[in-house]
Amino acid sequence: MLTLLSLELRKLFGARSVHLALLVTFLMPLLWAFAPRLSALIQVNLVSGWQLPAVSIGVTIGYLLPLFIAVTVAEMIGAEVAQGTLAPLLLRPVDRTKVIASKLITALTYPFLLILTTVLGSLLAGIPLGFGTFTGGTGLGPGLFVGVGQLSSDAAFAEVLRGSLLSGVVLMPIAALSLLFGVLYLNTAAAALATFAALIVMRLLVVLPETIQRILLTSHLGLYVQQGDITQSLVLLLIYTAGFGLMSIFAFDRRDV
Amino acid sequence: MTKQGAPAIPAIEVRGLYKKYGQNSVLEDVYLTVKPGEVYALTGPNGAGKTTLIRTMTGLAFPTDGEVRLLGRDVHTDGQRARAYLGAVVEAPAKFYPQFTGTQNLQVHANLSAMAPGGRKISRDRIREVLALLELTRMADRRVQEYSLGQRQRLGVASAMLAEPRVLILDEPTNGLDPLGIGLIHRIVTSLATGGCAVVLSTHHLREIATYAHTVGILTGGRLVDTVDLRARQAAYRFRVDDPLGAAAVLERLPFVRRVSTRTPYAIAHLGGESRVPDALSHLSAEGIRVFEASPDHFDLYEYYRERVEQA
Repeated sequence: MLTLLSLELRKLFGARSVHLALLVTFLMPLLWAFAPRLSALIQVNLVSGWQLPAVSIGVTIGYLLPLFIAVTVAEMIGAEVAQGTLAPLLLRPVDRTKVIASKLITALTYPFLLILTTVLGSLLAGIPLGFGTFTGGTGLGPGLFVGVGQLSSDAAFAEVLRGSLLSGVVLMPIAALSLLFGVLYLNTAAAALATFAALIVMRLLVVLPETIQRILLTSHLGLYVQQGDITQSLVLLLIYTAGFGLMSIFAFDRRDV
Repeated sequence: MTKQGAPAIPAIEVRGLYKKYGQNSVLEDVYLTVKPGEVYALTGPNGAGKTTLIRTMTGLAFPTDGEVRLLGRDVHTDGQRARAYLGAVVEAPAKFYPQFTGTQNLQVHANLSAMAPGGRKISRDRIREVLALLELTRMADRRVQEYSLGQRQRLGVASAMLAEPRVLILDEPTNGLDPLGIGLIHRIVTSLATGGCAVVLSTHHLREIATYAHTVGILTGGRLVDTVDLRARQAAYRFRVDDPLGAAAVLERLPFVRRVSTRTPYAIAHLGGESRVPDALSHLSAEGIRVFEASPDHFDLYEYYRERVEQA
């Protein structure tokens, strides 16, 4: 299993789409340092470098990060089929379940990687604002950017860490869904489009009764800023991830390659 | 432990194989057996189902009905064990990660091969050995994206034989190779078969495989319409004589002659081996038949194939 996992990670770090995504997520937050209208647009007067991760995650988690994830994860199957390297892999005495499970684990790691570069880029952009104690919030804790009074740098770091980890969790079902479509279509473009279309359709389902809305994946994408008891949303997102992941494994088990 | 005298397990056994894509039937009731040490060539017109058969035999595709066993294990239900001794190239040219070097690609395959139940680690020396055997040492540390078509094809064969397979399945292994490369693949396949490896290869080069394959399966319209045992066919010798009919009558009386026919100016006899040729010559001479030439009567696989496909 470790052999397969290391192979998948090597391929992930070798993919152009990953290079591009990592570069964009790292460099884009640097824009905030040179964006005079940012405070007006988000209607918050930024006073600390700890606030920039929330800005970056908030701006990208709706479309950009899901897009990067959908394309790269779809590519994990689609590109292998297109360049003919999936068949030689399956001709070896390896269990198909292990092959797809290693892809799934790699796919689920990818959102955290993107969040990491986003946060690193944001912290770099936040240097001019400083990282000391400040009055307000990080945007990822109680009271969001307004906060609940003074916030020490340790407490701010903890809020950023929590928000970042939850952002990764929020994006995990999207990675698993893209892998499922990858297995079903064996084509990068089709799988990425299907993932994105599914997310857009789910967002449009706001017209449905609230009880149904509550179980929609897209209703929980704001989990990373949610305070209080988040167990229900967290469990639901993990169920979505596990469900899409298991469906990928079952679909791949007897899929003609 | 194998009981003494028990029949050897076929290296490859295909039983009642059907494959359908929707309503379109690609393979129909295919039966095929390949013994250890046998070279089985699979041929047929384009679209006959050769690639589907090979992909199903290797476990990449799943049959609608029927089963495939490699060394006694079902490749679709016990795939990991069934493929433990399989070496295969199912695409021409063979496909590799273009961003990795030849050595790195083979290392990936070596690591994966070691994942077989009870699989042993493949050493770097073995990787160097197969690269040298396929004359790729010079290219070993170059990225595969820099390889020519023929070099990729040879790297494919190197990867297939890396784990010392007991079953080798190759789809169009000589595609894109120059005459020296083709000769190299022939030598390697023959040498592996001599060592007991069962080889299945699909090809369109009939005259080329007739020189080293033991059996040829002709697939057309998804059905295996004929299986030709080339070993039996190649035991025929032709005698250019002054009286072919008289010579045929003489040869027919000899106990070691299995079948006799004439094709003026030749009398053709199936002798069962080259060692019988001097005996046959002495009998012909004793009966007053003048023999001008004696030579193996090569079976024209191409002509046979053409007739068989036209009839099907």
